Amino acid sequence: MITRRRLKLRETLLGWQFSGIYLLYAAIFWGYPFVWMLILAFSKWNYFGSPRFIGFRNFTHMMQDSIFWRVFLNTMNFMAYFIPMVITAAFLFALALMKVRIFRTFFTLSFLVAYVSSGVGYSILFSNLFSETGPVNNLIYKFTGKTIPWFSDPQLALFSIALMVTWKFVGYYGLILFAGLQAIPKSLYEAAELDGANNWVKFWKITLPLVNPALTTVLVFAINLTFGIFTEPYMITGGGPMRRTLTFMMYMYTTAFQRMKPSYASTLAIATGLMSYGLVVLVRKLIEREVSLT
Amino acid sequence: MKRLVAFAVMWVLIVGLVMGVTIKFWTAPNPLQEEFWKPLVEEWNAKHPDIQIEWRTIPAARSSEEAILTAIAAGEGPDICTNIFSGFAAQLAEQDQLVDFAKEFGVDFWILVGARRMENIVEGWKLGDHYYVIPIYANPMVLRRRQDKLQELGFNRPPRTYGEIYELAKKYANPPERFAMIVLKGRNWWDRWFDFISFYYAASGGKPYIDTAAGKAVFNNEYGKKVAEFIYTMFKNKWTTSDWGKVFPLANGKALGSLMGPWSLNWAKENYPEVYNNLWISPLPVPDDYPEGKPVKTFADTKGLVMFKSCKYKEEAFEFIKWVFMNPVNDARWIEITKMPPARGDLATNPLFAKYMEEDPYFAAYAREVGNAVPPALITNTIDVQEAMTTFLTEPLMYLKATPDEALEKAVKEINKLLW
Repeated sequence: MITRRRLKLRETLLGWQFSGIYLLYAAIFWGYPFVWMLILAFSKWNYFGSPRFIGFRNFTHMMQDSIFWRVFLNTMNFMAYFIPMVITAAFLFALALMKVRIFRTFFTLSFLVAYVSSGVGYSILFSNLFSETGPVNNLIYKFTGKTIPWFSDPQLALFSIALMVTWKFVGYYGLILFAGLQAIPKSLYEAAELDGANNWVKFWKITLPLVNPALTTVLVFAINLTFGIFTEPYMITGGGPMRRTLTFMMYMYTTAFQRMKPSYASTLAIATGLMSYGLVVLVRKLIEREVSLT
Repeated sequence: MKRLVAFAVMWVLIVGLVMGVTIKFWTAPNPLQEEFWKPLVEEWNAKHPDIQIEWRTIPAARSSEEAILTAIAAGEGPDICTNIFSGFAAQLAEQDQLVDFAKEFGVDFWILVGARRMENIVEGWKLGDHYYVIPIYANPMVLRRRQDKLQELGFNRPPRTYGEIYELAKKYANPPERFAMIVLKGRNWWDRWFDFISFYYAASGGKPYIDTAAGKAVFNNEYGKKVAEFIYTMFKNKWTTSDWGKVFPLANGKALGSLMGPWSLNWAKENYPEVYNNLWISPLPVPDDYPEGKPVKTFADTKGLVMFKSCKYKEEAFEFIKWVFMNPVNDARWIEITKMPPARGDLATNPLFAKYMEEDPYFAAYAREVGNAVPPALITNTIDVQEAMTTFLTEPLMYLKATPDEALEKAVKEINKLLW
C-alpha cells in the first residue's frame, strides 16, 4: 500500500517536472503579458506611473476612431486579394508536386526557401526590384513606355504586398495541401475512372471534398496571417500611401511606441484577436466538413 | 611604464566602481556625432574617476523617440540624452519625466545660457515657464542644387521662385529618368518638417502653421494654398516623383535640387565629391509674388539635451553638461566634425568660429540662415499631427487624389480634431 502511494507520488512529481518547464515558460511569456494586456486595455497608462482604470473608454474610443476603421477595411481588402491568390497558387503547386516524380524534394525545398527567408531581407529586395526605377519597371518601361507604381499607388500597393506575401507562403501552404492530396486513396480515382469520370469531375467530386481538412487548415493560417501582417508594409510602404497599407499590427506598434498610448494599443490588440478568432470560427463553420478516408 | 599605466587604469576603474557615480548618457546614432562625443567622454572619464559617464548612442530603432521610450518603459533609460526634438520634449514633460534646468540648477543654468549667448534661443524652447531642454544645434533647411547642371541649362543663379522652378522643369524634366527637384521627402511623420512645413515657412515669412494658443491648425491660408498648389503642379506635370530609387538623386542627375540640412554635407563630401564640389546653396523657393530681397524664412531642425527625473546624480550630470558646453573650443570641434551650426547666439561674432565662416562657404551658407530658421510648433502630439498632414495633405497632392484646396481643408479639419 505504501509502495503504491509512493509510486503515485513519484509519478506525480515526475509529471510536474516535465510539465513544469512548459507551465513556467507559458506563465512568464504568455500569462503575464496576457494579464498585463487585459489590465492595460481597461486603463490609461503612458509608460510612466501606474495605470488608471477607465472602464470601456478605450473601446468606445476605438469605435469612433477613423484610423481603426481604415485599418479594418485594409485588412478585408488584403484578405480579398491574398486568400484567393495564395490558395489557388498553393493548390496548383500541390497538384504539380503530385505529378512530379523526380526531384520532388528539391522542388519542395526550393519553394520553402521563401518561407524561411527573413521578412526584412526580402522586403528590401522587393522594394528595390519593384521601385519606380527598379529593374522590373525599367523593363516594363522599355517595352511599354510606362511604369507601374507598385508601391506608390494607394490601391496597387496593397495588392503588391499581397503578391509578396503570397510568394512567401505558396511553398508552405502548398506542402500542407500536398500532404492532404497524398492522403486520398488512389482506389477512389480508379473507381471513378471505371465509372467514366474525367479529370474535371474527379477534381470536383473527389479531390476537393477530400482535401477539405488541409484546405481548412490553410484557410485558418491565412486568416491569422492577415491579421498579423507587419514586416512587409512596415519596411516598404510605412503604411502609406494614404494609410492604405496600414495594418492592425503596425497601428498597434505606432500607437504604443510613437503615440505613447500602450493602453489603447492593448485595446486594439484585443479587438484584432477577437476579430481574427471570430472569422476563423465562421470560416470553419462554413467550409469545414467531416472527411473520412477509410 | 606599462605596469604603471595598467595600475592607473585599474585604480580609475576601482575608484569608479567604489564611488558608484555613473551617469548614463545617450547621443544621436550618427557616426559624425559619435566622432565628436567619443574623445570628449574619454577625457572627462579620465579626469573624473569619481563621476563616470557611461556613454552610448541611442539604440537602433526606426526613430530615436521609439528607442528612448522603449528603454524608459524597460527601466533602462538614460540619465541625460541628446537628439531630443521639441515635440518629444513636450511629450516627456507632459508626463513629468524631465528636469526643469532653471528650477533645478538656478544660477548655474543661466551662467551656461549666458556663456553660449543662448538667451533668445532658450526662449524658443520654453514650455510654459519651464526650461526642460538645453538646445544643442539648430539646422536650417536650405535648397541644395547642382550648380554645374543648372549652369549648363543657362541659369546663372539658383531659381528663386516657383515660376523659375517650373521654367527649369520644362527644360530639364524627362520622366522617369530626370526630374526638376525633390519636392516631398517620404511618408515618415518627420518628413513633413523637411518639405511642407519648410515650404510654408518660406512662403509665409515664418508664420506659424499651428496656433498653439488656440489649439488649431492655420495653414489653410493664402500661403498654405500657394505651397499646396506648387506641390500639386510639380507632381501633376511629372516634374518630380515620389520614388527616387536607392542612388542619391543629385548624384545621378535624376533631380537637380533638394531641401537638405547641413548634417549631410560631410556625408556628401565623402560619398559624392563630384556633387559636393558643384553645389549651390540657396534659400527655399518662394511664391512668384514674394518680394525679392526680403529674407526667406525656413524650418529649423533643432535638437537639444534633456535630463530625466530618474537621474540619481543630477548635480554631477550637470557638471558634465557645463564642462562640455561652456567651452567654445568644443563648439568649434563640433562644427568641424558635423558641419551643423551649434545653438549659440555668437556664431557670427565669436572669433573662434570666424575661421569656419570664412573657410567653408557651405557651412557659412547654413550659419547665415540660422537667424531665418523657425522651430516647429511646440505641441505634444507632433507625430499624430504630422501623420495626418501626410495622409490628408501631401499624399493626396502627390497622387493627385485631391485638389490643393480640398487637401488643405481636409488636412486642417483632421488636425483640428487631434488638437482639440
